[in-house]
Amino acid sequence: MAALIRSLRAVRSLRGLGSAVVATTCPASLYGGLRRGFHRAALLASDSKSDQTVPPPSHHEHYQAQEPRQGSSTFSTEQASASDPGTQHEDPWPNTSYQDQSGEQAEDYETEDQLQARILTAALEFVPQHGWTVEAIAAGAETLGLSAASAGMFDNGAGDLVLHFVGQCNVQLTEILAEEHNQVQLGQAEKKKTADFLRHAVETRLRMLVPYIDTWPQAMSLLLLPHNIPESLKHLSTLVDDIWYYAGDRSTDMSWYTRRAALTGIYNTTELVMVQDSSPDFEETWVFLDNRIRDVVNMANTAKQVQATGEAVVQGLMGAAVTLKNITGVNQRR
Amino acid sequence: VTACSPCVVNSSMLCRKYTVLPPPRDKEEKAMLDSMLRVDHAGEYGANCIYAGQMAVLGRTQSGPLIQNMWDQEKIHLQKFNEILGENRVRPTVMLPLWNIAGFLLGASTALLGKEGAMACTVAVEESISEHYNSQIRALMEEDPDRYTELLQLIKEFRDDEMEHHDTGLEHDAESVPGYMILKTLIQAGCKAAIYISQRI
Repeated sequence: MAALIRSLRAVRSLRGLGSAVVATTCPASLYGGLRRGFHRAALLASDSKSDQTVPPPSHHEHYQAQEPRQGSSTFSTEQASASDPGTQHEDPWPNTSYQDQSGEQAEDYETEDQLQARILTAALEFVPQHGWTVEAIAAGAETLGLSAASAGMFDNGAGDLVLHFVGQCNVQLTEILAEEHNQVQLGQAEKKKTADFLRHAVETRLRMLVPYIDTWPQAMSLLLLPHNIPESLKHLSTLVDDIWYYAGDRSTDMSWYTRRAALTGIYNTTELVMVQDSSPDFEETWVFLDNRIRDVVNMANTAKQVQATGEAVVQGLMGAAVTLKNITGVNQRR
Repeated sequence: VTACSPCVVNSSMLCRKYTVLPPPRDKEEKAMLDSMLRVDHAGEYGANCIYAGQMAVLGRTQSGPLIQNMWDQEKIHLQKFNEILGENRVRPTVMLPLWNIAGFLLGASTALLGKEGAMACTVAVEESISEHYNSQIRALMEEDPDRYTELLQLIKEFRDDEMEHHDTGLEHDAESVPGYMILKTLIQAGCKAAIYISQRI
């Protein structure tokens, strides 16, 4: 009986592979389909190792709600078996769809991206042990009940893990800054001065690296690999843009660029200081950060002063020229 | 010498509490709107600088008040775009300093040809800008006119102002400048290049 069910599932996965290749539901079409097929094979392999899985309670409603919408015949066999009270409900596809039932997916499990995000998040706890490597991803996949081979889903390997972590930290920082912004709007908190705000934002973001600080140099070198540079630069630029936005920058001239360039410099140099800082609670890093921010503020003030002085000098020169013209009589109007 | 600075206009007439743009629903829409607003902002910034150049030369002549009038309207447009860019986190084009200098030089050099030269420059530039606004209006209407009603209204209003400047230029003997067709073609080619570049960077 069990052998019959396993062979049924093998047929299903093969059909799934076939349909995945043919299906055009996902935007990345063929490649995405292949990866999804690989994903299903990985799940199947892991499930054959594990014992019976109890399907989550919403499983039935989910399938039955999907039934009227299903055009393709891909899931007709599952539906037949799901509603069959005789067979055991060993469901190889955990119903982890986070989207509501009217989401764009035709298949009723989570998207590729959501699954990858879950695996990478789970992999982070193995980073202190394995470093930023594919082994950490494999270990993370195993904690989710998937096969270690599903780490092969990530064609960029450890680079994917680091980029995922960086993106996650940036999102967390944006949430913190938005929350603080709300509090200021509601009058529950004082508005910080720009220098203090920048210091607070950069410190908050860098503190997220503390649990991984020993392996962070490895992560930084991964981010500098040529094929990772475009995406890591994108993460860096969104980070800096978010921080300046919440600091209140609404400029629309060259200072938009100069401010972001300055903050990028501050952030990168402070990060570098942090990875080799051995003082308690990274005090030296925060002192360094303070000094760099103060430098930038001083430079901005100096620039303003230079401009004001320049304008005054130009006014003076114009006045002198007019006076000279008057004296020499060139300015006479006859 | 900084020729252009966003002037201190009485902003109470611009005091609106709602945003002109709908919240973007995906990255592509945000990119498209960003590009449109970036080039519009660059255009108004450039026009501002051109008028500043013209005023620097012709400010004390008879056509001074006329040019000043048109310049004031451009300042209002620029102010509005500054607000929109700030609210919607749109990156301004990196070419702004170049447009500053180029615009000022264009305005000043055509004004040296006399009042007719300044008017010819105005006609050419305003025609370019109106054409550009029209193509944006067409693009937005094709996309989804209901979603972008406020933005469409804003662009139409600005386009009408620019057409008015164009007509004013024609009324004031723009076509009588020697080499009018050559001047106009050159200026419009420059405007097209500027628009192309500002959309991208």
